[in-house]
Amino acid sequence: MIWNKKKQNSLLISEIFLSFLVIFGVFSFAINSYRNYITPMGIEYKNLWAISYNHTLETNNPDSVTLVYENLLRNIKAMPQVLSASYSTGNIPFASNHMSTGITYKKEQIMNINQYTSDENFPKTMGAKMVAGRWYNKGDAVNRDRIIVINEKLKEKMFGKEDAIGKVFGDYDDKKKVKIIGVVNSVKYEGDYQRPGYGMYKLHDTASYKWMGKIMVKVTPGTDAGFEGKLYKLMATTLKKSNIEIEHLDNKLRGANNFTLIPLIIFSIVAAFLIINVALGIFGVLWYNINKRKGEIGLRRAIGAPASSVSMQIVAESLIITTLSLILGTFFAVQFPLLHVFDLPAGVYILAICLAIAFIYLLVFICSLHPGRQAAAVYPAVALHEE
Amino acid sequence: MLKNYFKIAIAVLRRRKFFTFISLFGISFTLTILMVLTAFIDKVVNDNYPDRKRDRSLYLGNIELRGKESMNSSSFSYYFLTHFAGSMKTPEMIAISSRSNSTNTYVNNRKITIDYKYTNADYWNVLDYDFIEGKAFTKQQSDNGDRVVVISEDKKKEYFGDDNSPAVGKYIEADNVKYRICGVVRSIPITAYNFYADIYLPITTMKTNPASDKGYMGGFVAVLLAKSTDDVPKMQQEYATLISKLPIPGKEWDHIYSHADPYIQSYVRTGNEEKSGMLYAIGAVVIFALFVMLLPTLNLVNVNITRIMERSSEIGVRKAFGASSKTLVYQFIVENMILTFLGSLIGVVFSIVVMYFINSAKLIANLDLTLNFTVLCYALLTCIVFGLLSGVYPAWRMSKLNIVTALKAQ
Repeated sequence: MIWNKKKQNSLLISEIFLSFLVIFGVFSFAINSYRNYITPMGIEYKNLWAISYNHTLETNNPDSVTLVYENLLRNIKAMPQVLSASYSTGNIPFASNHMSTGITYKKEQIMNINQYTSDENFPKTMGAKMVAGRWYNKGDAVNRDRIIVINEKLKEKMFGKEDAIGKVFGDYDDKKKVKIIGVVNSVKYEGDYQRPGYGMYKLHDTASYKWMGKIMVKVTPGTDAGFEGKLYKLMATTLKKSNIEIEHLDNKLRGANNFTLIPLIIFSIVAAFLIINVALGIFGVLWYNINKRKGEIGLRRAIGAPASSVSMQIVAESLIITTLSLILGTFFAVQFPLLHVFDLPAGVYILAICLAIAFIYLLVFICSLHPGRQAAAVYPAVALHEE
Repeated sequence: MLKNYFKIAIAVLRRRKFFTFISLFGISFTLTILMVLTAFIDKVVNDNYPDRKRDRSLYLGNIELRGKESMNSSSFSYYFLTHFAGSMKTPEMIAISSRSNSTNTYVNNRKITIDYKYTNADYWNVLDYDFIEGKAFTKQQSDNGDRVVVISEDKKKEYFGDDNSPAVGKYIEADNVKYRICGVVRSIPITAYNFYADIYLPITTMKTNPASDKGYMGGFVAVLLAKSTDDVPKMQQEYATLISKLPIPGKEWDHIYSHADPYIQSYVRTGNEEKSGMLYAIGAVVIFALFVMLLPTLNLVNVNITRIMERSSEIGVRKAFGASSKTLVYQFIVENMILTFLGSLIGVVFSIVVMYFINSAKLIANLDLTLNFTVLCYALLTCIVFGLLSGVYPAWRMSKLNIVTALKAQ
């Protein structure tokens, strides 16, 4: 029956197939965002401020430069509302600023590792937790080139379940070797809805003050703009020629989240309209088919088929068509996890495929219910008389 | 003949209200999406505030050094723009501005974030900002290093409150320095990133002397203004020659790339010589448009076939009386076009509503989407494409109907 009308059904099949792909896309995006959303942030971003500065000191004497920056940090820490403060490179959370590098471990290269440079107060300021080993302390300054702290995600990539502390790996060219002294928890640097990336944290040296460019400051809850103004003045008087900006990390987070949320909302709205469109279309086509097949339906009713069995037939037929297009659709959708397109975890794709299949079945089922009922309401006498 | 087609089309549309609804819904919704998209692109690309002399201008955005192993791409140093680009013969004037940076200022226990930009005096002659009060700083003031500033209307409201008292002559504090306001300009959206800022300061008031850096790379961009539109190709040529003769700054590099582009090319330039930004931008828009149009078109084809097959008796009779397939196909395409145009009318209404909501939601400040003539033209074009796409296949199917089967169907 379906095979006989393959020409007419082919359009319906391709329509359902495309809707499936659209739904699959939106679901993958949404599920992935949700899964990222429920993983912990890794830092305490509330009451955390980031001060930007640029190195414009006139003196070139390295010692006096160091002295200025060290005094500055000490003065900031001495302010009553400040809980902790530390220097950091520009790639702070939610800033979409990246510094990445590659490393070599056991002859295998791992690329796209975010490299952060900061000081010994960093975990305390950010609210990050050590998973294993320890963070840097004052005594590490001497051999800072030979030790490293990595994040949990990089540890899992390199060592799996093994212990990472004390292991040694090389830089991109496998020349300089560094020893891991600690593993810190992964941080979602790109906001609530993005996965944490690989990361490693280096300890700064006195020359880094010139280019690090950020001071992270943790303040007590309820600190107001008045205090921020004071902090600003302190910065501006210490670094006279520098451009100073103070940003709040919770505001930055909102901005970073919008990069995921706004596309998701737009895609969902567009997809919803497309689906309503398709649903109406399927509904219309089925309805018309019933009208055309009144003779056949009337005959079935005349020879004693119950109303339910007639409407079942209509529903079942449309579900078979759906199955055909879903097989085709799943074939394409499965390529995504197999070929690692967009580098999302396979679980996301599989869940998205299952949900999309269920969604399309439900949609077609609802769209065919009414035409089915209508078919069941055909009076055999009237239908056969028409013929 | 057309009048008859029109009458038939209206009659058919009114007979099957449900199908008409499905078709109109699909068409109007699809066009709404495409129209909002075109309005957005049109606003971002074609809106010529504040650079009204676009046809006489070329834009300098970035310079790229390329070597065997490394690549470095950035905007220009002030030195490059004044010393090299500034020595060009064809340009009448050159507008130099820094990329915008942010800072804070604190007024009455309130924190205000200010995006600021340093400009030269000619910037205000090359670009036509709308001044609400006062005027731009002069060459004299700029040369003297006077601490004067042009601010945007939005920032005036934020800084001084919403009363309409003039701001010219008052002082605004940024980066711990007080500047005297000499003019207020109408705000521009952040999408015009080369010109957007909250306050505009003279380059001479920068805390460090920008001319001291003798490299090519830095944080400045420029607009070259030719005397007339005829001089633009000559100016582009002169710039290309200038770049080809530029001394290469180090052993690690073997090529210098930089282009003086017309506005649109400069807007989408990726900062990577090997990838054309234009191609990317157009590709992304086309793929999105196709993706949005494909499903509704398929749906419409489906519904149209159903509608046409329903009229098989009419087709049979007309064929029996000698109508050629061509006339029939023509008739159905015209009918479908009428339907499409009806749908697009509704679509226009929808888009106005949607744009109104987008504008009032203030997704991007100062970016007011409007339905203008260009957008309408694009809409009309998509409409025709849409009508043809969804009308041709069903009409062709129909025209191949056998007279006997068509008549027998009823």
